[in-house]
Amino acid sequence: MKGLLPALDSTRRDALLAGIWRAVPSLVATGIWGIVAGVAMVKSGLSPWQAAGMSLLVFAGSAQLAALPLIAAHAPIWVVLLTALVINLRFVIFSAALYPHVKKVPLARRMLLGYLTADFGFAVSMARWVNLPPEERGAPEQIWFLVGATASTWFVWQVTSIAGVVLGAQIPTAWGLDFAIVVSLIALTLPMIANRQALVGAATAGIVAVLAASLPLRLGLVLAVVVGISAAMATDVALENT
Amino acid sequence: MSAVEIWVTIVGLTLVTLATRNFFIVLGETVQLPERVQHALRYAPACALTALVAPEVLTQHGAWAIELTNPKLVGGLVAIATMLITRNTLATMALGMGAFLVMRLA
Repeated sequence: MKGLLPALDSTRRDALLAGIWRAVPSLVATGIWGIVAGVAMVKSGLSPWQAAGMSLLVFAGSAQLAALPLIAAHAPIWVVLLTALVINLRFVIFSAALYPHVKKVPLARRMLLGYLTADFGFAVSMARWVNLPPEERGAPEQIWFLVGATASTWFVWQVTSIAGVVLGAQIPTAWGLDFAIVVSLIALTLPMIANRQALVGAATAGIVAVLAASLPLRLGLVLAVVVGISAAMATDVALENT
Repeated sequence: MSAVEIWVTIVGLTLVTLATRNFFIVLGETVQLPERVQHALRYAPACALTALVAPEVLTQHGAWAIELTNPKLVGGLVAIATMLITRNTLATMALGMGAFLVMRLA
């Protein structure tokens, strides 16, 4: 490997390789999601170029999968973006946890690291850093570990997404594979419902979404999310007071 | 959506990814979110995803369809059960899609 990465000293190189190595189990999951998202993008009506562009630029699987049925249903662009924003809100929390480890990196490169850090890269890195004392946060090894864990995820996601786009274009629409989007959203959602507050919020949001489905411009979805989060917060307060 | 609208949406989604993943990476420790708000941010994704999925599986042609002749409901229930039992994404995809396709042909 020395010849491939001559500019890095051995500590940084080892950290980079450690990041890639630790990411390997999640790379398998990333690859499966990439293929699913690639197939789903073309089956929901995007052209292969649009699908490849979405994968390369957006690089957020759950937001992409959530946007697809809305794009197919001709929802207004702002509803699509707002939905993706809500689904991506977890990254705001991730970014706060990530900051101490990347704060010494110049802003533009720091933002590139932030952009590349999706669910798996974050989980792999935090698992490694969880026992570090605060004064050791932000050392160069952590940056290079993060580069290894996130860049490998980015690479696998792009390759498998584009493979999925090519594969999806071969499959007849009549097979009903667009339902794969719904099934994949279910597989994404269940692990997020980790406590009673989230369960109450999600159940409320689901019921409101069905009851308000006839509202124009998919506003029922927006209403459902607002009512759902409120229900989760109310449960939070209620559980705290018992 | 027209091709232009789709590309505008893709660029918008890219900005959403950039903004959320970099929120505190740019702001640093100058702003602290109240604990209550942090909780809300944690519950939001599950709410949004469920709000997307529920009408897809619980309704047909704009009306409630909570009956076992609804292929999407059966596929969704099988997917939920598989995910809860196995925690395996691939098995969930396979069995959920399988149940949906069988029910659609039946």
